[in-house]
Amino acid sequence: MLNMLLAFENLQPMNWEVIKPALNFLWQGLLAIFVVIGLIILCVKVTSFAIAKSAEIKKRREEEKNAQSPDDNS
Amino acid sequence: MDFLLQGFEALADNPKMIAMWLIGGILIYLAIKKDMEPALLLPMGFGAILVNLPLSPVIEEHGIINSLFQVGIAASEAMPLLLFIGIGCMIDFGPLLTNPKLFILGGAAQLGIFVTIILAAMIGFPLNDAASIGIIGAADGPTAILVAQKVMSNYLGPIMVVAYSYMALVPIVQPAVVKLCTTKKERKIKMKYSAKQVSKLMRILFPIIVTICAGLIAPDSLSLVGMLMFGNLLRECGVLSSLSETAQTTFSNIITLLLGITIAFQMQADQFLQLETLIIMILGLFAFVFDTVGGVMCAKLMNLFSKEKINPMLGAAGISAFPMAARVVEKMGIKEDPSNHLLMHAVGANVSGQIASAIVGGLIIGILFPYL
Repeated sequence: MLNMLLAFENLQPMNWEVIKPALNFLWQGLLAIFVVIGLIILCVKVTSFAIAKSAEIKKRREEEKNAQSPDDNS
Repeated sequence: MDFLLQGFEALADNPKMIAMWLIGGILIYLAIKKDMEPALLLPMGFGAILVNLPLSPVIEEHGIINSLFQVGIAASEAMPLLLFIGIGCMIDFGPLLTNPKLFILGGAAQLGIFVTIILAAMIGFPLNDAASIGIIGAADGPTAILVAQKVMSNYLGPIMVVAYSYMALVPIVQPAVVKLCTTKKERKIKMKYSAKQVSKLMRILFPIIVTICAGLIAPDSLSLVGMLMFGNLLRECGVLSSLSETAQTTFSNIITLLLGITIAFQMQADQFLQLETLIIMILGLFAFVFDTVGGVMCAKLMNLFSKEKINPMLGAAGISAFPMAARVVEKMGIKEDPSNHLLMHAVGANVSGQIASAIVGGLIIGILFPYL
């Protein structure tokens, strides 16, 4: 197999100068992508929670306002 | 009468051109007869013939194809980046926002890219070419073009042809790999889909959040992610519906049309007809297979820690080929159990793959840069 690859002029099989950085790609790339994804999931969860909370507070305020308004009319 | 024979004489000097006409013909056949990515394969096929005619003026210094390539791809990668605006406009991130943990599958399904980079490096490709070959596994044509161009790969033409051809082969490649990695019992796992209403504010904030997160950790992915998310913001903002519609239809069509014929510039016989092209085809397939394996295995791993089981087939939808990969998972789910509908979950994983592949493209450029 190696002999076959050596037949290609432009290829240099099993060159550690190239393989070593390629191995770095694996761990650096996977680590970085999962860090980005983790951060996005965290931000989405926090934002969703904040939006839901603010909607809940708004709804409660409106309910309180509606409950008070009949008294004001009387 | 010599002037009538100039073309034939030039052809006799470079008979490889005839092989490129055949390749162009095959691409046109696949586009028309097999309906494989016709919007790209047809212009690429015709372009392959156009640039491989002897004395063709289109590839000369001020020729139309050469000029389009220099302006649209070489100078700023404008064409693939602008296409991302249209893609962003087409994507509904709702299914992902209702179940954000599906995002993890999109990340895991990029494993094949990195494994293929190592394999290509072992085979003997220089690092920039190895990285460009690996990115075929992103199953994302514009990302493959951008990375290959940015890192100055010598195999831009073969990489683009292989990337787009394999995207069309997703329905053939993925089911076999998924079946090998999963048991019948796992493929029958049912998942509830609660169609929670995602608020408009969340939909508007999401593209901004993704752009900031990606920009802070992987700044080189910003051109890809930024355009994708800009397109999505156009869609979700609700006040630019005519722009959004234009980006999804007319704008995307124009860019796709120009991109296909422009890519053909890299399909000149001397550059394209190399034995390395064959190796790139094999490595591209390897990248697709390992992407699928990575996604499926990640879903299985997540099942070890979560109460609500995920159907491992969803991992296969984590690749960027949208919406083919999601459709494949839905079909496989129904085949195992006609009442098992996984489409919405699969779409969630699929759109996460779209974002993840764009981020990985930028990461690769960033990590590779010091070695260039």
